[in-house]
Parts: sequence; C-alpha cells; structure tokens
Amino acid sequence: MAIIADKATYRRTIDNVLSDIRLYFRLIWMQIRSQGQYKADMFVNIGTYFLTTSLEFAAVFLYFANFSTLLGWNVGEVAMLYAVTSIGFGFSEMFGAGLDIFPDTIRLGEFDRVLLRPVSALIQIASSDFRLRRLGRITQGIVALFIATAFLPAFHWTLLKVAAMCIGIASGTILFLSVWLLGATMCFWTVEPTELVNILTYGGRDMLSYPLNIYNQVMQRIFLFVVPLAFGTFVPVSYMLEKSLPFGLPNNLVFASPAVAIAFFLAARAIWQFGVRRYQSTGS
Amino acid sequence: MNMIEVSGLGKTFRVAKRRPGLLGGLRSIVDPEIKRVEAVHDLSLNIEAGEMIGLIGPNGAGKSTTIKMLTGILVPSKGHMRVAGFDPVRQRRELAQRIGVVFGQRTQLWWDLPLIDSLRLLRHLYRVPEERFAANFAQLRSMLALDEFIETPVRQLSLGQRMRGDLAAALLHDPALLYLDEPTIGLDVVAKARIREILQQINAERGVTVLLTTHDMDDIEMLCPRMVIIDHGRKLYDGAVEAIRERFGGDRALVATLDAAELAKLPHDARGWPMLDTLPDGVTLAQVEEPRLWLGFKRDAIPAHELVAWLGARYRLHDVTFQEPEIEDVIRRIYEQNLLLSVA
Amino acid sequence: MWRFYLEVARTAFRRQLIYRWANLAGLMTNIFFGAVFSYVIIGLFHAHSAVNGYNVLDTLRYTWLVQSMIMIVLTFGWYDLMLTIRSGAVISDMSKPCDFYWYWFSRECGRDLYFLIYRGIPTYIAGILLFGLGVPGDWRYWPAFLLSLALGSCFGIAYRVLYNAIAFWFLEARGIGTMVVVVALFFTGSYVPVPLFPHWLLVIAQWLPFNALLNVPAEILLDNVPAGTIAFELARQFVWVIVFTLLVRLVIGRAARRVIVQGG
Repeated sequence: MAIIADKATYRRTIDNVLSDIRLYFRLIWMQIRSQGQYKADMFVNIGTYFLTTSLEFAAVFLYFANFSTLLGWNVGEVAMLYAVTSIGFGFSEMFGAGLDIFPDTIRLGEFDRVLLRPVSALIQIASSDFRLRRLGRITQGIVALFIATAFLPAFHWTLLKVAAMCIGIASGTILFLSVWLLGATMCFWTVEPTELVNILTYGGRDMLSYPLNIYNQVMQRIFLFVVPLAFGTFVPVSYMLEKSLPFGLPNNLVFASPAVAIAFFLAARAIWQFGVRRYQSTGS
Repeated sequence: MNMIEVSGLGKTFRVAKRRPGLLGGLRSIVDPEIKRVEAVHDLSLNIEAGEMIGLIGPNGAGKSTTIKMLTGILVPSKGHMRVAGFDPVRQRRELAQRIGVVFGQRTQLWWDLPLIDSLRLLRHLYRVPEERFAANFAQLRSMLALDEFIETPVRQLSLGQRMRGDLAAALLHDPALLYLDEPTIGLDVVAKARIREILQQINAERGVTVLLTTHDMDDIEMLCPRMVIIDHGRKLYDGAVEAIRERFGGDRALVATLDAAELAKLPHDARGWPMLDTLPDGVTLAQVEEPRLWLGFKRDAIPAHELVAWLGARYRLHDVTFQEPEIEDVIRRIYEQNLLLSVA
Repeated sequence: MWRFYLEVARTAFRRQLIYRWANLAGLMTNIFFGAVFSYVIIGLFHAHSAVNGYNVLDTLRYTWLVQSMIMIVLTFGWYDLMLTIRSGAVISDMSKPCDFYWYWFSRECGRDLYFLIYRGIPTYIAGILLFGLGVPGDWRYWPAFLLSLALGSCFGIAYRVLYNAIAFWFLEARGIGTMVVVVALFFTGSYVPVPLFPHWLLVIAQWLPFNALLNVPAEILLDNVPAGTIAFELARQFVWVIVFTLLVRLVIGRAARRVIVQGG
C-alpha cells in the first residue's frame, strides 16, 4: 500500500474506494432482489435464524437461574454484552458472507473468474453470498438489547453511552469482518481446515459474548492487543456499564475503537493481497 | 499492431508430494518433497489485432496455463508478455477491462438470476456507460438472438443458449481481445454451427481478436486461418491450417461399406479378411469389419475420388465416408518426425 | 444376514478413517468449545460453590463429557439420508434385499464407533490436560455408563434417521432438521449443562426423550445417580429407544409405500 503522496493520488484513491463501495452495494442489491422474490421463504429463513440465535441467548439466562453473578457481572450486564456482540457479529456475518464460502469458491475454480474482472477481488468475494436471512441474528441482537435493559433497572442511557454503543457495534462489525477475511485468506494456502476458520469467527463471537475477565491473562491480552475483537464488544459495553477495564486501560478506550478496527482491517487486507499474489504464482 | 506479444514464456510449478500416512502428512508440512513440473517452456507468440487463432493441443499440454498467464491470473516463471499494450502481471485490472473470456464448461453468469440481470450487473462491474451499454446490448441482442430467453434464469437455459449468453456477457464492454476456451464443447451439430457463425461475425464485423482453444478440429478448420499447436508446454506448430494436414496429416482413411453378399463370395485369407483385387499404389487395407473396409491411403499417392471410382468399378458400394487423422495422431507424427516448427 | 450388517458397519468405520484432517479440525472445535464453557463455568462458580449437588469440578467434567460424546450421539448437520432421497438414490437403496432401517442403523453404528475412539476419547483427554479434570466415576459405574452410552447412541440414530425421513414428504427440509437438532442439543446440555437447569426446566428435561441421548450416561458416570435409580434411568432410556425405533420404522414403511406408488 503506497503512502498517499500528493493530492491527486489521494483523490483517486478516495474515488476508487467510493466506487468500490457503491459496486459492493449494487452487487448485494441484486441478490436481495432475487431472494426477495420468494417472500415466504425469506421470512421463514429469517425467522428460523432468529429462533436459533434466540435459543443461544436463552442459554445465558439459564446460567443465571442458579448463579447470581459471573465474576461480578449480573444477568442484565452479561445479556447486554451478549447483545452488542451479536449485533456487530451479525452485521459482519451478513456483509461478509462471501468470505465464509470462500473455500468453496476456490475449490470450484471460480476465483479465476474473479481475477478476470477489472474490479477488486475482495469486493467481489465479500459480496458474493449475501443472505438476507442473517438479519435474523441482527434482529435477535436488538431484541436481546432491550431485554437486557429490562434486567438493568439502574442503567440509564446517556448521549455518550449511545455513541459508545454505536461506535462499538460499527467497530465490532469491521473487526469481525477482518477475522472472516483472515479465515478466507487461509484458503490460499490450504483448503482443508475450514472448520478452524469457524473457531476463529463463530468461536470468537462465543468467547467475546462473555466478560473478558473470565479468561486467563494470555487470552485477555490476545483479544485486546493481537486480534482486538474486544474493542467491538467488551470495551464499549464496559464503558456503558461503567465497569473498569483490565490492565489499567482507560475507561473511555472505546472512542479509540474505530482506529483500532480500521488498522486491523488494513492489516488483514494486506495479508489477503499477499495471499492473492501467492495464488497467482502457484495457480491453485 | 500487435495485440499479443509473447517471448520466452515459461512456467514451472512446484508441486509438493504428499507422503502417505498421518505421520507422513505431518512431515510433508515441515519437510516437503518438491517436484518441479514445467508446464510451459520457452513459448513465443505474436498475434496481430483482428486475427482469429486456434490453439490446439492434447489435455495437459499447457494451453490453459498459457491462457492464464496471458490474462494475468497466473504469474509466469520467466519470459516477457505484452497483451493489448498492457503487462498482464502488473496491470491485471486494466487489462481485464480490455479482454473478454468465455469458458465452455463454466459460465460467468449468475446462476439464479435472469440473463438480463446478469448483463446489467456486468455493466456495473465493467463500468460501461449507459449509452454504450444500450447500444452494445441492442446489437448483441439481435446478433445472438437473445430475446427468446433474456428473462429466463440462467440455470434453466440450454447449453447453446447459455453459450450465447456468455458471449454477450464477454462482449458487453467492447473488449479488443476475446479468449474462448472450448466454446462448442457439448453442443449439438446445429448449435455448434450457429456459434461458429456468430464467432465469425464477431471477428469480421467487430474486429475483435479471437483466441480459440479447442479439441474440435472442425472448429479450427472452419474458423481459424491460423493455428498454434502446443504440446508438453512447447509450441510445435504455428501456421496455416490447410498446410498442416498436407505436411503431417499422413494417411487418410476411406471407409467403404460393400455389399455383404458379394464380400462373402470372395476368397478370404488366413486372417479372415476378404482378398480384394490388387490395390493401387499407396493404398492399404487397414481394417476389416464386414461389410465395412478401412482403406488407408496417402494424400499424394492417389486423389480420394479416384480411389472411390476404382473401388466402385470393381465392387458394389453401399456407402463411402472418409476418416481424417485425429489431431493427436498429427501431433504424435510431428514428434516422431522430431520436428519442432515455428512458422510465424 | 447379520454378517451383512456387520460389514456395513465396518465399511462405514473405515470410510470415516479417510477424513483424518476433517476429524482433526472437528476435534479442535470440540476442545475449543469445551474450553470456553469451562471458563464460563469456573467464573460462575465463584458465586456459589455447589448447585443441585454439582460442584465446579463435577460441572467441568459434565461439560467435557458432553463435548466428547456429542459427536457419537447427535451430529449436527447430518443429512446423508436426506441427500439420497433428494437425488433419488434412495429408491435403489430401498429395493435392496435388506432391511432399510437396519442398513442405516449399522452404517451409523460404524460411524459412532469411529467417533468414540477418534473424537470422544481425545476430547476428554484434552479436558484432563487443560483443566485437570481427572478420570471420573467409580469403576463400578463404567458398565452402566457404557450401556447407557450405547442406548443413547441407538436413540440418536433413530432420531436422525427420523428427521431425515421427513424429506420423503418435504424435499427441502434442512430448516426443520436444523431446528430439530438445535432443540435436541439444548436439552442434552450442549448450551447449558442440564444439572444447572432451573428446577422446573429440569423436571421437563428429564421426561423428554432427549434426556436419553447424553444426560443419562453423563450423570451415571459422574456418580450423580443413586444406585437404585440407575436401573430406572436405563429402563427409561430403553423405552425411548424402542418408541423411536418403532416410530421411525413406521415412517419409513409409509415412505416406502409412497415411493412405490409414485415411482419416485
């Protein structure tokens, strides 16, 4: 990635990014239209996904039937963490769906066609398997958020907290998308361990749905400094619930989340581009 | 103006050999045994704008590898390439804007969407301005007779219709160069003829340079004035199509179906084959499956019609057809005669 | 005839051996989820030391047992039969001179045995190494445990053949399949350990068939079932196995007749 040296290059890069984004939404829109044709199926799919994810959420409440706190977090607080994580993850799952099926794309030899187009390979791949049914998880996350606040009588919304939540969710989306991207990039080296990718993505979501302090120190550091998913989940929710962060980190760290998310995304994208180049050298 | 300039192109793949067993699998990761496979060796090629070239060769010859390098999908190990004025490796996306690619066995259209939607999407992917898209679309629509199935989802199309759809998709953005990989494979005779007509039109009327890969010699003979033979990663022949049969075609075969009763009356030799009158020079009886006879004859030994006349004068003929040598036989013969030709 | 079924089982077992890397990846997944649950449970038990007679070690062992046994007893996303129905291959299967259900049963038995050896045991060992679980249970309970596990496995086979058989009527029944498995997973303690259920849910869970899948064997091994009740639990499991086996045979019989009438 060249450093932006002069204004003309800068403007051209911005133009490229904007037109890529526009293209991405156009590609998605076509798929929405074609899926929307079967309205009944669509609603059933969204509904089923909503129910499945709700059941997972219900499990959280069941834990608290017999225990009053989880290392100082009560049921409403864990529910809120769960909800925020779900929403961010849900968005990433929906917008980056093509990354999930990337192993199939490579295996079927369709990536060649992607390279034959005058458009960024990443945009094409990420938009390739848009499924409206992923709205089910996002909806469930929003519902969970309201349920969580019902269990937190002492919680009050302030403007800063709402901002923190929105920033957190947006950052979470970008961070989870980056993890999806890293998982997809693995396919350039080997097509076998696609389940391991699921551990990174779905597993990551599971882990981040619970307070970070239940894990050992090494894992906490990993989620804060190596694969900084905590910035989209634990950090914003800690701010909202006025809880302190580990390692003496400042309470308003959430406002640095977007920078962290974008930096991580750019790193993941660089690795992806390295992977594409490797694909072009070895041809498989 | 040269559309494609290739010199000294080479591609060597490093294939890691997997050791058997679980322990072997683990060892393969740490200490892999690498085998070098040279897919393309020192290939040079020059194609001018507006040409229609056939690229032929047996499976595994290196055709697809070459095409992949020309389109920027694959990075060569050595050599120099220039396609439509671009360096395929460094300027892949710019080059992609100027080329169209059609794979015979795989479609680039979206499976669940109607053809028209795929074309609209591609318009955005290739950033074709509104008016040019409208003009191109109208033209392609009539040339390829798309109206009958323009609204049908691609998965419901027949192979011939899908091929026409793919051609439309490939030409939508006015490419200067069109690659076709096995475009007539799996098509029936009528559809094949139609596609060939269309390809001829595309090349003649729109001036698109066409590079056609195929196994079907008829494709080449009907469409391409010039052909390139590739085998084992090397260019074996580059020149006119008619010339190749004459130089390396070797024997043709006349398959004559004689009258069964008449054949039965003839004396048969030790092999059980009927003993015919002494055959003319250069003609041999190659195979017998009564009542059919295969007579091999050299092209320059006797013209085909004379042989038919000779046979017809002596025996009752029910049917007569000719068999041309397979391209694989031609290539083998070229090898056997140890000739590596480059008539460029 | 039983030699045939034994061969079917053996073939299925051998076929699974080929997918080593997939199994390894799946093993990693099991271990991962075991670990995440373990952390949650350890965190929860800071608040109370015991719930429903289970302390933190018991619960950890339970969780790891669930992770170990889940592949043996209830596989997520098993649609093998449904796929043969969709492709029409089932018709030739049904016309073979063997019992359709026992054929699938033997096949799945072979598979289950594979997962016992190559997934179940390694998973639990990982749990021992990571969280110091130790080997549970009195050796006296092992026979009961193994019997219970076998029964659970039989039930699991009947269950998955049953929800696949729906495809005879609704060609694309994957959504139903997912729901049905998720519900079963829930009641086998994959989301929350069953002993940690609130009391009212615990009672319901004990009378649902899913109890027969995993919970009973796990509880037996953890020495949580008094000696007298073991026989009762095993009997109850056995009843569920019989009921579901009869049910699935009925369904298949219906389906077979439908197939013959419709000609596929």
